[in-house]
Amino acid sequence: MDVSQYLDIFIDESNEHIQALSDNIMILEKEPENKDTINEIFRAAHSLKGMAGTMGFKKMQHLTHDMENVFSEVRNDTVKVNSSLIDILFDCLDAIEAYVDTVKQTSNEGEEDNAALIQRLNDFLEGGGQVAAPAAAEGEAAPAEAAAAAPAEAEESSDNYKNLTLDEEDLGKLTHAAEGGSILYGFTAHINKDCLLKAARAFLVFKAVEDFGEILFYSPSAQDVEDEKFEFTFSFIVSTTSDLEPIQQAVAAVSEIETIECGKVNPEMYQHKTEAAPAPAAEAPATPAPAAKPAPAKAEKPAAKNNKKNANKPVTARTVRVDIEKLDALMNQVSELIIAKNSLVSISSSDGGSGDYDRQSFQEQIEYLERITTTLHESVMKVRMVPIENTVNKFPRMIRDLSRKLKKPMELVMTGEETELDRTVVDQIGDPLQHLLRNSADHGIEDPEKRSKSGKPENGTIFLNAFQEGNNVIIQVGDDGGGIDTDKVKAKAIERGLVSEEDAENLTQKEIVDFLFMPSFSMAKKVTDISGRGVGLDVVKSNIEALGGDVEVKTTLGQGSTFTIRLPLTLAIIQALMVDVRDEKYAIALASIMNIENIPVSDIKYVQAKEVIYLRGLVIPLIHLDDVLDCEPMEEKPEYLTVVIVKKGDNYAGLVVDNLIGQQEIVIKSLGKVIDNNKMISGATILGDGEVALILDANAMF
Amino acid sequence: MAEEKKELEKKDVKRRDLEPVDEEKKQYIVVKIGDEQYGLDISYVDNIGRMQKITRVPKVQYHYIGIINLRGEVVPVMSIRRKMGLGDDVITNKSRIIILKMEEQGLVGVLVDEVREVIDLGESEIDRNVKASRKSDALFINGIGKNGNDLVSIFEVTAILDDVSAS
Repeated sequence: MDVSQYLDIFIDESNEHIQALSDNIMILEKEPENKDTINEIFRAAHSLKGMAGTMGFKKMQHLTHDMENVFSEVRNDTVKVNSSLIDILFDCLDAIEAYVDTVKQTSNEGEEDNAALIQRLNDFLEGGGQVAAPAAAEGEAAPAEAAAAAPAEAEESSDNYKNLTLDEEDLGKLTHAAEGGSILYGFTAHINKDCLLKAARAFLVFKAVEDFGEILFYSPSAQDVEDEKFEFTFSFIVSTTSDLEPIQQAVAAVSEIETIECGKVNPEMYQHKTEAAPAPAAEAPATPAPAAKPAPAKAEKPAAKNNKKNANKPVTARTVRVDIEKLDALMNQVSELIIAKNSLVSISSSDGGSGDYDRQSFQEQIEYLERITTTLHESVMKVRMVPIENTVNKFPRMIRDLSRKLKKPMELVMTGEETELDRTVVDQIGDPLQHLLRNSADHGIEDPEKRSKSGKPENGTIFLNAFQEGNNVIIQVGDDGGGIDTDKVKAKAIERGLVSEEDAENLTQKEIVDFLFMPSFSMAKKVTDISGRGVGLDVVKSNIEALGGDVEVKTTLGQGSTFTIRLPLTLAIIQALMVDVRDEKYAIALASIMNIENIPVSDIKYVQAKEVIYLRGLVIPLIHLDDVLDCEPMEEKPEYLTVVIVKKGDNYAGLVVDNLIGQQEIVIKSLGKVIDNNKMISGATILGDGEVALILDANAMF
Repeated sequence: MAEEKKELEKKDVKRRDLEPVDEEKKQYIVVKIGDEQYGLDISYVDNIGRMQKITRVPKVQYHYIGIINLRGEVVPVMSIRRKMGLGDDVITNKSRIIILKMEEQGLVGVLVDEVREVIDLGESEIDRNVKASRKSDALFINGIGKNGNDLVSIFEVTAILDDVSAS
C-alpha cells in the first residue's frame, strides 16, 4: 500500500492537532487543574501519535508517545503542571511542527530524533515534576544520544545474514533442514530509506520467498518485522530445494527494496557466532568513544542532504479545507444544472423536428440556467474564502512566549477570528500581523512597575479585532501600553533630516506617526531579537499595500496605540438585507441594522424642519432613500412607512424603503475605478438572477 | 539539393522585393451613433454584448448610465451620446454594449446604437487632418477613415474614458 496519497490529510490533520494542543496547553497553563483540557490534550497527542505511526514516521511517533506519557501522568494526578512542564511541552510542539514541516517538504520526517527533548520529558516524569535546568538536560542528553546512536551503528554493520545470532532452537531447525536435503540460503534485504511502510515491504519479501521454500529464521523476529520494529535492513534464512537465482529475483521484484545480499549458508556458520556474539556485545559499552565518533558525523550528512531537499518544492499542494455545507451547496447547484440541461434537451426534442420551439418555456429554461450558473460561480468563490482563524490562532502562543521572554505579563485578546477572507490574503496577512503584535509586546506594553505606577493593571492587554465593514475587512491590532511618543518621533525625524525643525512644528499627529512607516526608522533604543532593527513597519505597510489595503495608526500617549489594517475585498461576503426602492433593489449590511419598523405616516414629527420618529425613547431622523438616491417620486403617499433603523456608534437613522425582500448572503464587488464613488454606495453585488444590486453604506448616511 | 534550395530562397527574396511594402493595417469596429459612423480600435475591445439590464447608480457622473453584470464582474457602462453631448440614448434591439478593456481603468462598457462591421484601415486611409466642427469631435476624434463610400470617424479611445465631457 502506498500511503503517500494520505500525506495531505496527514499534514492537515497534524496541523489541526498541533493547534488544538497549543490552544489547550495555553489553557492548561492558566488552569492547571482543568480535567477537560487535560483530556482534550491527551486525545490530541494520542491521535498525533497514531497518525505518525500509521504513516511510519517513527521519530515523530516516539516523541508524541513520550508526550502522551507525560499527559497520562498529569491526568492521573501523579505529576503537577507547572510552567517548566509547559515550556517543555511547547518545545515538543515546536519539534513536532518541525517534523510536519519536513514531511511537507520532503514527504519524510527527516533525521532529527529530538533525543534531548525526549530526555527532558522523561526526566520530568522521573523527577516527579522537577526538571533539571535545560542546559544540564541537554548536556545529559548528548551522551545519551551518542550512546543510542552507537548500538544502532553496531547493529547495522552486524545486520547481515552472515552475522546472525541464532539460539539453540533455531540452530536445531537449520540443522534438521540441512539434514533433510534442503539447501539453506541467507538473505539480507535493504529497504529504501524513503519507504513508508517497511513492514509491508518485508511482508511482500517473505511472501515471495515462501513460494520457494520455508523461512526458518527471521532477524529481527517475524513479530518485530510486522510491528516495524527494525531499521532499514532485515535478514532471514530460508530452506528450499530451489536454486538461489529465482528467489533472488523474486525478492528484488518487490518495490522499494534497494539491495539484497544473499548466499548459501550452513548451520555450522552460526555455531561459532553464538559463542562469539557475547564478546563484542560486552565490549561495546567499554569503548563507547570510538563508536560515538562516527555517529555525529553521520548525523550531519543526512542533515545537509535534508537541507538540499528542502530547497525543492513542497511535495504537497496547498489546500483549502472546505465547509461541507459549501460543498453540499455546490453539489446541489450542479445537480440543478443537470436538470436545467435535461429540460432544454426535452424542449428541443419535443418540437418533432419542425424547429418550432415553445419559445416561452425555452426562454424560461435559459433564465433558470442563467440563475444556476451565477449561483454556481458565487459558490465556487465562497469555497476560496477561509476564516482568518487559521492564521491568527498561533498568536496567543507567540504572545505567551514573548511575555515570558520580556518578563512583562500580558495577554492577547482576539475577536472576529471567524471573519472570512480569500485564501491568498489569509496566507499573506500573517507576517504583517505578527510584526504588529511583536511591536505591541516589545514597545507598546510597559514594564509592570511602570504600569502599576500609572494606575494600569499590571497585566498588559494586546488585542486583535477583525470584522467586516462595508467593502473592507478591518483588522485592528493594538495594546493598552504607553502609546507612541510623537515628540520623540518628531525629534528623531529632525535628527534624521527627514523634516526641518520649522516644518516639524506644523506636522499633524498623523503625519508624525507616518514617519514610523519609513524604511529603517526605528525608535527602539536598543536592538533586541524581537524588534528594533527598523525593518518592520515599512515592510508591514508595503505588504498590506500589496494586498490592496492600507494601514492607519491611532495613538494616545500613555494609553496605547491601535494599528488599523483595512483590506478592500472584492470577494468579501456579508449578510445583507435586500430592499426595494421603487423598481430598484438595494442591499444594506445586516451588521449595521438595528431593527425594522412599520411606522404610520401620522407618527412622523418634525424637529428643526426635519422628519423624525420617536421610538422607545430615541429620536431617530428619517432618511427617505428615494430622495437621496434620486428615484422618481411616488405617485401616492402611503399610509405606512417601512423604516430600516440603522446605527453607527450611538447614532441612529431610519431609512425609509418601499419594500423588504429578505436577508441574503451577498458577495461584494467594487464598482470599478471610473465611476465617481459616492459615499452612499459601498459596492455592488450580483443577485441570483444575474441582476446587479447596489450596496448602501449605512455609515455614510449620517 | 542544397543549391536548389538556395535558388528557391533567392526567388523568394526577389518576389518579396517586388511587392509593394505592406502597410500595417489596423482593425476597427464600425459603430453607429445617431446618424454617424464611428470606428473603435479593435485592440481595446474585449467583447460586444447585447443590451441587458443596466443598474442605475445614483449620483455618479452624468455620462455613466450604470453598471452591468458581465460574467460575474460588475462593469460600469457609459453613454457615449451623453459624453459627446448628443442627448440621451434611444434603446432599440440593435443597441449593443461594447466592452473596452483599458489598462488603467479596467473593463468599461460603452453603449452604442448599432454595431455594423469590422474594417481594416491603413494609416494612409485615415485623414488625420480633422477640422472639428463640433467641440465633442475635437475631443474624441483623431481622424476620419474612408470605408468605401462611407466616412468613419475614428475615436480616440483613451479620450472617451478621460473624465472630461463635452456637455
